[in-house]
Amino acid sequence: MASITLDNLGKVYPGGTRAVGDVNIDIADGEFIVLVGPSGCGKSTLLRMVAGLESISEGEVRIGDRVVNDVEPADRDIAMVFQNYALYPHMSVRQNLAYGLKNRGTPKAEIERRVKEAAEILQIGPFLDRKPRALSGGQRQRVAMGRAITREPAVFLFDEPLSNLDAKLRVAMRLEIKELQKRLRTTSIYVTHDQLEAMTLADRLVVLNGGRIEQIGTPLDVYRRPASTFVASFIGSPAMNLLDAKAVPHLPGTAHAGTIGIRPEDLSLAEDGLIEMNVMAVEELGAQRLVHGRTSGEAITIALPSDAPLGDTLKLGFDRKNLHLFSRDSGARID
Amino acid sequence: MKRTIFNNQLLPWLLLAPQLAITFIFFIWPAGQAIRQSFLREDAFGINTSFAGLNNFQGLLGNAQYLNSMKVTVIFAVSVTVLSMGVALLLAVAVDRMLRSSRVYTTLLVWPYAVAPAVAGILWWFIFNPTVGIMPYILDVIGYDWNHNRSKTDAMILVVIASAWKQISYNFLFFVAGLQAIPASLREAAAIDGAGPVRRFFDITFPLLSPTTFFLLVVNIVYAMFETFAVIDSTTAGGPAQATNIMVYKVYFDGFIGQNLGSSAAQSVILMLIVIALTVIQFRWVEKKVEY
Repeated sequence: MASITLDNLGKVYPGGTRAVGDVNIDIADGEFIVLVGPSGCGKSTLLRMVAGLESISEGEVRIGDRVVNDVEPADRDIAMVFQNYALYPHMSVRQNLAYGLKNRGTPKAEIERRVKEAAEILQIGPFLDRKPRALSGGQRQRVAMGRAITREPAVFLFDEPLSNLDAKLRVAMRLEIKELQKRLRTTSIYVTHDQLEAMTLADRLVVLNGGRIEQIGTPLDVYRRPASTFVASFIGSPAMNLLDAKAVPHLPGTAHAGTIGIRPEDLSLAEDGLIEMNVMAVEELGAQRLVHGRTSGEAITIALPSDAPLGDTLKLGFDRKNLHLFSRDSGARID
Repeated sequence: MKRTIFNNQLLPWLLLAPQLAITFIFFIWPAGQAIRQSFLREDAFGINTSFAGLNNFQGLLGNAQYLNSMKVTVIFAVSVTVLSMGVALLLAVAVDRMLRSSRVYTTLLVWPYAVAPAVAGILWWFIFNPTVGIMPYILDVIGYDWNHNRSKTDAMILVVIASAWKQISYNFLFFVAGLQAIPASLREAAAIDGAGPVRRFFDITFPLLSPTTFFLLVVNIVYAMFETFAVIDSTTAGGPAQATNIMVYKVYFDGFIGQNLGSSAAQSVILMLIVIALTVIQFRWVEKKVEY
C-alpha cells in the first residue's frame, strides 16, 4: 500500500525529443488512476518511468515517501502487467507466478501459499502446470495478473493489458480488474487509449496529449466539464460536437467563445430549434440512432432514440446549460 | 493455390537435371567410390587390386595413430565449438544491449566469415609465427615460450583459434537474430520480478535462445570436423607428432601423401557415417525437441 507522487516529471530522449513534460499527479493510497490519450501521447512512457524501465530526465517519482528515481525496478515494490503479457514461455504457469518470489528468496511454503491464493482468485488453478502457449488469450491475461498479485506489491502498473483481447472478453476482463482492485485495495496506474475502458475503470482519469496533462478528474467530472477541446473530443462516445462559433451565429451568450461544444446526446429534435441540420448518414445502434450531418458547413452528430422521426433536414434544440464553451486561441474551457 | 500440371513428362527431369548432375558427380559418385575402395586393397602403383573385406576397417580400429586422430578430433571439435560459440554469444549480447551504432559493429564482426579458410590459416600462422609473429613476442614478455612447431599444446591452440575465429561471425549473426527475437518485455518483466542482469540472462535469455544454440552446436561440430582441412593444412599440416591430425586431414594425408588408398577410403566411410549421424540428430532434435 502506498501513495505515488509524480513531481514535475519529464522525459527528454537523447537527441532532444520531448516525450513527456510537466507532469504533476498525486495518487492516493488505493486509488485507481487511468492514463488515457491517443497513441504517442506519452502515457506508456510515463508508466515505464514509474516502473523504472525508462530513465527519468526531469522531476521526481515518489512511491510512499521514497524518491525512486534511481531505484531499480525490482526494488520499487511494483508489479506490472504488460500489453503482450510477457509470460515466460519456457516456464509453467506455476513457475511464472513464483518467479518473482523465488528471486526474492521467499520461503517455499510461502510461495506455494501465495501461488495457490492467486490461482484461486483468478480461477487459473487447472492450468498451473501448463505452459503459456497452451492457454487462450484470456487465460494468459489472468496469468499475467496472477504474476502481479502473488508479489503483493504496493503498486500495480497496467500497460494496455486488454488491447490484445477480443471485444467481448475485454469487457468481461475490465470488470474483473475493477473488482480485483477494489478487493485488494492496491494503488494502481492503468494505461489505455480506449476512453470507454478509462471511464469505467478509473477513480480518476488523467487525459494526456502530446506528452502533457490536459485534465485530471473523476470520469464524470471530465465528461461533464472537459477542460479543453481535446478532452471534449476524446472523452465520450460518440464524440462531442465542436462547432466554430462564427459558423453557428444564432446561439445566444456565446459571443466570447471560439468553439462551442455540445454532446450528441444533449441535442434533441425541436420545432423551434436554433440549429438546422442536413442529414447525411444514419447509424442504427439498436437502442439509439446516430444521425450525422452538417450545419452551416460544420460536421454535427446527434444521438436520437431509435424511434425518432427522420428527414432530410432536422431542427435541433438544446438546453443552454449543456453548452461547453472553449477559447479560440488555447482551446481551453471558458466558464 | 493454383497447381500447374506438366503434360510433358520430360520437362521436370530436364529442369532437375543440372542439380541432379552436380549431386551425382560431386557427392554420390565419390561416396560410392569411397565405399567400393574401402573394401579393396591396392598397391602403390595401382596395378594390383584385391578384395580385402573388412580388413581396412579392422586395421584402422587397431591402429594407435587412428585412435589418436579420433581423440584429437574430439578435442579439436569441442574446443572450436565452445570457443566460437562462447565468444559469438558474448559479442551478440553486447551488441543486443547497444542501441545505436550496432549496425557498424555487426558489419565489422561479420567480415571474417568472408575470409577463405586457407587465408585465415595463413593469417593466424603469421600472427603466431615463433620467429616473426606478434603473439609469441607478446607471450614472451609474460614469460611464455610459444612454439607451435614443437609444442603439441601450442599447435592445438593455434588451429583451434584459427578455426574458431572464422566461425564466430556466423554464430554471432544467428545469436543476434535469436536475441532480437526475444521480446524486450520478457526481460523487463524479469527485471521487475527481481532478477539481476546475470540472472536474467541465465533464466530467461539463454533458455529462449536454446533452439538457436542447438542448431549452431550441430553446425559448428560439422564445421570443425569437416571444413577445417585448409586451416590445418596451411598452419600445422597435422603436426607436430600427429598432435593436430584430425580425421579429415588424415584421410587426405594417408590417401594422397601416404598412397594407402584402401585405408583412406575406409576413413572416409567412417566420416560419412558420422555426418549421417549428425544430420539425423539435427533433424530429429532441432526440428522437434528443442522448443518451449
